[in-house]
Amino acid sequence: MTDATLALPSRTPPVRQTSTMVFLASLAVFAVIVTILAQQGVISTSFVKTLGKTLCLCLAAVAMDVVWGYTGILSLGHMAFFGLGGYAIGMWLMYARTEALVAPGLAAQPIPPTPSELQDAIGSQIFGVVGSSDFPLIWMFADSLFLQMAMVVLVPGVLALVFGWLAFRSRVTGVYLSILTQAMTLALALYLFQNDSGLRGNNGLSGLQNIPGFEDAPQSAISLAFFWASAVALALGYLLFAWVVSGKMGSVLRAVRDDEARVRFLGYHVESFKLFAFVLTAVVTGIAGALYYPQAGIINPAEIAPIASIYLAVWVAIGGRGRLYGAAIGAAFVSLLSSWFTGGGAPDIDLGVYTVRWTDWWLVLLGLSFVAVTLFAPKGIGGLVDLLTEKRRPERQGDYGPDKGAKRSEEGVE
Amino acid sequence: MHRILIAILAVLTLIPVAGRAQDLQTILQLHTEEVENPGRRSVGVVIEDLIAARLPAVPVFLTHWQDREIVLNAEDGQFYALVDEDGDTATIRNLDTGDESEVAGDSLTEVRPNGGVRREIAAALVRFQLSDENPANRRAALDAIARRPDADQIAPLTASIEDEQDAAIRADKDRLLNILTARYGETTEARVEAIERLGGSITSDARAALSQILEAEDRVSAEAPDGNIAQVYTPGDQISRTEAYGRLVDAELAPAPVSGGAIRDALIANIDGGMVLDIPVELLDTDAQRRAAYDRLAQAGRVPPFVTQDRIDAALDSHSFYAVYEEEDAAVTDAARATLRSVETQVSLNQTADLALDAISLASIYFLAAIGLAITFGVMGVINMAHGEFIMMGAYTGYVVQQIVPDYTWSLIIALPLAFVVAGAAGIAMERLIIRHLYHRPLETLLATFGVSIALQQLAKNIFGTQARPLTSPDWLSGQMVINELVSISYIRIAIFVLAGLFLALLLFILKRTRLGLEVRAVTQNPGMAASMGIDPDRINMATFGLGSGIAGIAGVAIGLYAQVTSEMGANYIVQSFMTVVVGGVGNVWGTLAGASLIGVLQKGIESLNPSNTLAAQTYMILFIIIFIQFRPRGIVALKGRAAGA
Repeated sequence: MTDATLALPSRTPPVRQTSTMVFLASLAVFAVIVTILAQQGVISTSFVKTLGKTLCLCLAAVAMDVVWGYTGILSLGHMAFFGLGGYAIGMWLMYARTEALVAPGLAAQPIPPTPSELQDAIGSQIFGVVGSSDFPLIWMFADSLFLQMAMVVLVPGVLALVFGWLAFRSRVTGVYLSILTQAMTLALALYLFQNDSGLRGNNGLSGLQNIPGFEDAPQSAISLAFFWASAVALALGYLLFAWVVSGKMGSVLRAVRDDEARVRFLGYHVESFKLFAFVLTAVVTGIAGALYYPQAGIINPAEIAPIASIYLAVWVAIGGRGRLYGAAIGAAFVSLLSSWFTGGGAPDIDLGVYTVRWTDWWLVLLGLSFVAVTLFAPKGIGGLVDLLTEKRRPERQGDYGPDKGAKRSEEGVE
Repeated sequence: MHRILIAILAVLTLIPVAGRAQDLQTILQLHTEEVENPGRRSVGVVIEDLIAARLPAVPVFLTHWQDREIVLNAEDGQFYALVDEDGDTATIRNLDTGDESEVAGDSLTEVRPNGGVRREIAAALVRFQLSDENPANRRAALDAIARRPDADQIAPLTASIEDEQDAAIRADKDRLLNILTARYGETTEARVEAIERLGGSITSDARAALSQILEAEDRVSAEAPDGNIAQVYTPGDQISRTEAYGRLVDAELAPAPVSGGAIRDALIANIDGGMVLDIPVELLDTDAQRRAAYDRLAQAGRVPPFVTQDRIDAALDSHSFYAVYEEEDAAVTDAARATLRSVETQVSLNQTADLALDAISLASIYFLAAIGLAITFGVMGVINMAHGEFIMMGAYTGYVVQQIVPDYTWSLIIALPLAFVVAGAAGIAMERLIIRHLYHRPLETLLATFGVSIALQQLAKNIFGTQARPLTSPDWLSGQMVINELVSISYIRIAIFVLAGLFLALLLFILKRTRLGLEVRAVTQNPGMAASMGIDPDRINMATFGLGSGIAGIAGVAIGLYAQVTSEMGANYIVQSFMTVVVGGVGNVWGTLAGASLIGVLQKGIESLNPSNTLAAQTYMILFIIIFIQFRPRGIVALKGRAAGA
């Protein structure tokens, strides 16, 4: 595989790529500005949380871009990994916090509690809402932060590995794969909706914004800490993916996207490359979820319904596929705009006979603008950068996916 | 002396007197005491006499008596029915002649039978009702008996069967008599025979009768089991040893084992200055420590000792555990057990049939929802995420038509073609405006149509609100077809099944037998070649898309009839519909049928294993599909040859 027959560009270290540099620098400046503004009290704690959550979504979008924009797998199930990461960390948060709440009461009793009594008390506190008090097997490691953090990586990773191995091995591609991933996330969501799934059914896990061990710290400090953690995670994730998609690996991935059969005939084990991209992005998405949900405070199965994953694809498409910063910009732009519109921030438009309330009409606008972007600006917001820099990439004109478009230069070019 | 003579005469001639009596009042006067102040035991005599008199006024009297509407008039000492009471005066009715008269209210004494007596009266009334002229009353009487079966009802029921004219009611009476005989018959032979006759019946009351005969009670004893034994339990085999010991404890034949809670309570009770004996309380934070401390307390004689495993074993060995039938006659319980087994086989067969009907109707719904998609996705290769919203459009069209045309039958007749037109037009518009530009880029079609989908969904929410809208079916479609007590299907589901069949036939006809179908297949296989043969691919694509979307609209009306119309109803079907098409095999109407059948049968089948949890059923079904696609990535009915590559 080292003597690749593809014309490979010589690797530019990601740190020396202009776009990566610019992105990381802007991220750093942004983080510093937000910190200063937050400490001056100009922006509220809840807005810092919103920004922190947005950074996590950006990280998920960047991962989605690698798997879709670079490798050509339109996964409509990546938010399942996001949710699983959130559940994994949420279990520890909830366990540890409940333990902190329950333990003093038990310690005040005439004789100290045994470990099993303590666990029963925590169990009935957590699972009382679904009419149970026993810890299911999946909570086995919930008392250990380290093991649950390992779960954040392992659970999405193993799920992606098994699912991807099955799917790629039997050469399920294109829209079939998309529908299959969608079925996967739907099955997971339906499973978690059950009360006896062991994860509190549709109640989900709550109270995650209270970090055990930091009960005395104000939410403003915690939110800022998580904002920084999210920013660092995004920066590291961006660097990782920039490194992955540059060089030989990136070329093979793009080649798989453009013509899978040809790459296979050239002697590459296409399935392994796809599996690598799928699992790596799933793991990073899981980490993003683990950072997101402590800021959101609550996670429930609705979060991993198929629609969430479709939105992830929408963000990437609007931001611009096939470039990492495009995905991040798309996710930030659309999700912030969305919360501005649905939060009642946008002024209503009075048409005389009818008042357009954006809380009602935002989704209509989003849907239609999404259609418009797909039709008229397939490069998304990232395309604007091309206009500015006049930079074209002649060898990749108009290929936007693993489809026939790649072979038809007339397709996709307006 | 005279009075005694008269009394003796009366007793001697009691039955003849009652039989000859020309009016009700005479009989009542014979039993003044019992009627006025009836007790549960004594009332039987009165009722027997009343029934023996065979007077038409008797059931009327019994009804009034039961309803506490009988009064005793102090002026003439006779019983009357109270019609109306208004202040000081009351209207009363003569029980024999029916004449009404007004009397002073304070001369009347109300007869107030207690609950037990009223039940006796009700039972007596049932006998009259069993031979009532009105079939509805006869049925009501049968229902009353079935609700409270009783040995006494055998005789009147047997008597009423001979004169029964209505064949259906007669059959019901026979059946009920059979059940009563099985439970309360006098001889073992009669009961066994009746039980064996129950074998052909799967109705719930027959099964209830059988299981009531087989009711058993768990017992524990130190001696060998006796009585009509249903089952002998060996600890560690049929029941766990823990459970067996628990039964011994419940029967107070053995001491209860010391539980964790009991240890804790005992330790707390023995804390003395932060110590239990000489152990500091802080050390008692593990189960092992607590048990050790408790053991020492027990040795000091301050708490009951632990029940050792040896004692438990000895107790279990020295006792027998068994269940005894409440019915003492072994021949009867044997017959009942054998019959119940054969009945249960029949019941499970019928339940399977019912399940199959459910599965077929679910499969038809999936088929209807997916068939439009099979055309656009399967035949044209276009992913239409807005397909569910076309279903929703059809359903809302039906709702709007119902607002305008109040007659449900007519509105349905109008709504079906209108839904086709509305959804079809929307489909054509979408094809012209969006999809046309995105052929060959299926993933982008997916995303663009998803944009349309969320816009349409929100639009529907803005127009119709978020609450569910009803789509009422006409009277002839409501209700259900009942085949027997276990197997039934609602008419709407039958209609959906018929509709699905119609569409299957129609689509096959269009695709295989018409010019349009020929052109559609040509464009599907090779658009360039088709175009050079004079077929306009644009026009064909447009027509195909319109057809697929229109069918989605009609499916929407059908789905709206049995579920409710909401803006999200389409989204609920879209993933299932895609899976139906993919599982069935893309590009093939038969494949969609196979996919819908598989998914419908599978979902109902998994659901029947655990009926309370439909979410789990859906989860496992999706998992099955994911695995199924591993083995047949092209679906059940896979296209072969050149068409497969198209």
